[in-house]
Amino acid sequence: MVKDPLRTKLCDLLGIDYPVIAFTHCKDVAVAVINGGGFAVLGEAMHTPDDIAADIAWIRERVEGRKFGIDLVLPASVPPSGSVDDLEAQIPETQRAFARQIKEKYDVPDPKGSVDLHTWGGLNQELARAQLDVLLDERVPVIASGLGSPVFILDAAHERDMLVFGLVGKARQAKRQLEAGVDAIIAQGYDAAGHTGDVGTFSIVPEVAAMAGDTPVVAAGGVTTGRHLAAALCLGASGVWSGTQWLVSRESDVDMIIKERLLAATVEDTSYSKSISGMTMRVLKCPWTEEWAQPEAPDILPAPYQMLLSADYIQGANDNRREDLMTEAAGQGVGLVTSMKPARQILFDMVEEALDTFEGVVGDLA
Amino acid sequence: MAQARHGFDESLAGRRAECDGGHAVPGSHFAGREDFAGTLTGEFVDHGDPPWRWYLLADLTLKPDGYTDDSVWCESGNLFVQELGT
Repeated sequence: MVKDPLRTKLCDLLGIDYPVIAFTHCKDVAVAVINGGGFAVLGEAMHTPDDIAADIAWIRERVEGRKFGIDLVLPASVPPSGSVDDLEAQIPETQRAFARQIKEKYDVPDPKGSVDLHTWGGLNQELARAQLDVLLDERVPVIASGLGSPVFILDAAHERDMLVFGLVGKARQAKRQLEAGVDAIIAQGYDAAGHTGDVGTFSIVPEVAAMAGDTPVVAAGGVTTGRHLAAALCLGASGVWSGTQWLVSRESDVDMIIKERLLAATVEDTSYSKSISGMTMRVLKCPWTEEWAQPEAPDILPAPYQMLLSADYIQGANDNRREDLMTEAAGQGVGLVTSMKPARQILFDMVEEALDTFEGVVGDLA
Repeated sequence: MAQARHGFDESLAGRRAECDGGHAVPGSHFAGREDFAGTLTGEFVDHGDPPWRWYLLADLTLKPDGYTDDSVWCESGNLFVQELGT
């Protein structure tokens, strides 16, 4: 009898049918994937504690007791001091002038509302701590930490029958978290959307899997198809974590302009750039990223100064729905995302393609 | 919100360490990674219960281009203290 290759220890841990984790900022997408037999983690990094509690209740009402996850971007380092206003005052005039030049050249409109940088968890451990406390109070089935180490919260979470997943970009981070007892490790490669490390998915996944023992390893970075899922399992992962394809699902609340750009994008349309935040992240190319890549551009500022510069452009583009200016995080697998489908269908297509891939390699699995 | 509690760990003061840092990007759902290396002062701060501990890494020998400060607070789980004698 042939073992079902998609029945992994991640499925057993989470009580799911398919080893696919959708990372999304949209509650409707999360619910659709969970009720389809996969798993979903809702990104809540920029939400207030009250909003997080409300979202948890909303999901609970719709998943009939199934597990779900909440992801926070726990900070891992913060500058020693400085309010946002203090930081803004330190931005050099050269970079300010270049940002103004871009704004004039592309007729970037002003944001419709104020650019809100003051309720930011990134420089504020206390806000992140308050977000975490909501997850503990609500006994969220899975806490995922999208950046910093979740080790300090492990005991408190386990006492509440909660699971803790850590996302890592380096093997030594995985080793630290595995030794502490995290319940699963997401090994994220350079191919990923948003923030990434500099190790490719094909390298980091087997390296982490080799040290993980019975702890499930989840592959992330460039995953958009069933072939990726099959490959990840062959690399030693117990599942995949993906984001880009859910952005274009029918349920996704991402602006239709961005959905259409993602569907039309190839890997060459993504940019691994520091120009948005001062930290490397992979996004769809836009005038802002392209102008800062020109040889005559001034040096990109470090975080958080560069984000203070880019925030006006990004919010102005988004508020006014300027297709020629907008951007979004996108992984290198975006070129394989070519149609808008319901989230459940995306999940089923991934599963079917993965099974077809295995059958193509080893023959009939039945 | 929970009060921050400051303290000092003499055993770490003067030890070299690396920090796999980073944080969320303001006004967005993006985040980014940043690497630091330097010398621990021994100062720490705990947030909440269970304590979320942060150490002050100073005299930075590795920091992002343009990072103007010479110190950074590093979350303990992302801090890799070098063995003595290395």
